[in-house]
Amino acid sequence: MNPLLTIAWLTVREAARRRLVAAFALISILLVSLSGWGFYKLSHSTSVTSGETGLAVPQAVILFMFMFSFVVALSASAIASLAISGEIESGVLQTIIARPIRRSDVLLGKWLGMAGLLAAYTAIVCGLLVGIVDWASGYVPPDPVAATAFVLAEGIVLLTLVLLLSTRLSALAAGVLGVALFGIAWLAGVAGALGTAFGIRGMHTAGVISQYLLPTDGLWHSAMFYLEPSWFISQQLAGPRGEQANPFSASAAPTWPYLTWVVIWLVLVLAFGLINLQRREL
Amino acid sequence: MSPARSAERAEAAGRIGSPAVRDSAPGSPAIHAIGLRKRYRDTIALEGLSMSVARGEVFGFLGPNGSGKTTAVKLLLGLARPTSGEAMVLGAPAGDRETRRQIGYLPELFRFQSWLTAREVLALHCRLLRLPRLRWPDEVDGALRTVGLAGRGDAKVGTFSKGMQQRLGLGVALLGEPALVILDEPTSALDPVGRHDVRLIIRELRDRGATVFLNTHLLGEAEQVCDRVTILSKGEAVATGTLAELRGRRPSVRLRVTGLPADWWQRLDGFGRRTAEGDWLLVEDLNEGQVPELVAAIVSRGGQIEAVVPQRQSLEERFLELLEET
Repeated sequence: MNPLLTIAWLTVREAARRRLVAAFALISILLVSLSGWGFYKLSHSTSVTSGETGLAVPQAVILFMFMFSFVVALSASAIASLAISGEIESGVLQTIIARPIRRSDVLLGKWLGMAGLLAAYTAIVCGLLVGIVDWASGYVPPDPVAATAFVLAEGIVLLTLVLLLSTRLSALAAGVLGVALFGIAWLAGVAGALGTAFGIRGMHTAGVISQYLLPTDGLWHSAMFYLEPSWFISQQLAGPRGEQANPFSASAAPTWPYLTWVVIWLVLVLAFGLINLQRREL
Repeated sequence: MSPARSAERAEAAGRIGSPAVRDSAPGSPAIHAIGLRKRYRDTIALEGLSMSVARGEVFGFLGPNGSGKTTAVKLLLGLARPTSGEAMVLGAPAGDRETRRQIGYLPELFRFQSWLTAREVLALHCRLLRLPRLRWPDEVDGALRTVGLAGRGDAKVGTFSKGMQQRLGLGVALLGEPALVILDEPTSALDPVGRHDVRLIIRELRDRGATVFLNTHLLGEAEQVCDRVTILSKGEAVATGTLAELRGRRPSVRLRVTGLPADWWQRLDGFGRRTAEGDWLLVEDLNEGQVPELVAAIVSRGGQIEAVVPQRQSLEERFLELLEET
């Protein structure tokens, strides 16, 4: 097996052996069953009209996905922070790198393994959610596959950033910094939306810049766009200015230049990670 | 050692001894370093280390804690980069990826994936070494037997004591019949039986033609297995040579002789410096191999030899002497 795939396989195996996969499964069951119960109650309550249900369910799906995207991002940050620094600190990585293997194979193999885990986790939870919401309320978001892909992309962006940080900083510092930057990016996105809605140029620009510097919030907005029914978007655009600043709504699909930038961003960050690990003294 | 262990050992010796050592650049020294220097910010870890380790040699790299031994090993393996100087390992620049296939390494900080079994760790390294899959079972079983973990192959590494983990690390270093085995403090966590086993393994490696680079601060260990040693102090090599060369002084011997007149020793010409100490005679500065000749000379004069005690400077004495000088 190719050394890169060996490391990816080892990463997945570690996740299984260390019960990360079991933890993911438990969280998934908990999230999906609780939300299924909630959606069922919401759709079958006699105190809620069908019109109100039609309004509430899509928003509840967005809120669920927001919470889940947060879980994916935090999980990505936690596993990536330990990937390089943690193994250098413990001495495990030195025994691997002393073998005839490129350091780039180690980094990319770990990235691939962790990204694969996140992809499986995200696909399963989102798939189950869409299924259970459909069963409970008969509602299916406009493009659940695209929304799932963007939630996953958000997690992979944070995973890649924390992996880069982990090649330079301690595991703890990399994890904490990654989560903090994720939070700041989200807040900057909210500020940007407010700036756009109220015509405050500086805040709008800050929001746009932050979406390029760390594309997590930009990708979250893309995911949201594919979760929103078209009437919901029209209502947002026609509503008062304050409504357009709602951080749980997106009125535009992601553009190709932006998506291209996200790919470039991922490649650049991985490349910096490779350079760092290449230079790092073990 | 128990009979079972002896049988395992014999089998393991067969495994270590059977195949020929792979050699990418025959004729070149196993290790050749010129002016290796490593500086970490304000600290100089290694100051211009130059040395040459011949193929098939058991080479001791001795020095007190913090003398730069592990830094040197990391430079040789490419885990760290020298500030200046260069090193060739098995005929290729230190750190060369393909050459690392021929190097077995037991790090000072031996840590393996605690969530894998010993067998899985060894299989992982077989995979990383790109050994043919058909060879894995023999390699893994052989390594487990050699390091005395035959019955623990399926136990998780996380359940192992430090000594067992070090044994596993040694097993990992032996995979794939390496031409060069670098052992960094290989007995630091081992009991006396384990230390004895490591000495046997080192001798077996030498017997099959592998080079062993033994990084240790345990002088007794080096004295028992090394052909040559370098003594490192404060990042600098202060002495290199065979043990006899390092001990420095020419042979001396103390003899207890009876049956001869009081001043008999004054007529014993050609045998170094002689000093009488009651019944004992101290003869210093002899030529190498001259002791039997001396004994024969005394016997031919009618003397009865009650005791012959070689007066060698121990490696430890020489080591301390060298460290004091630096």
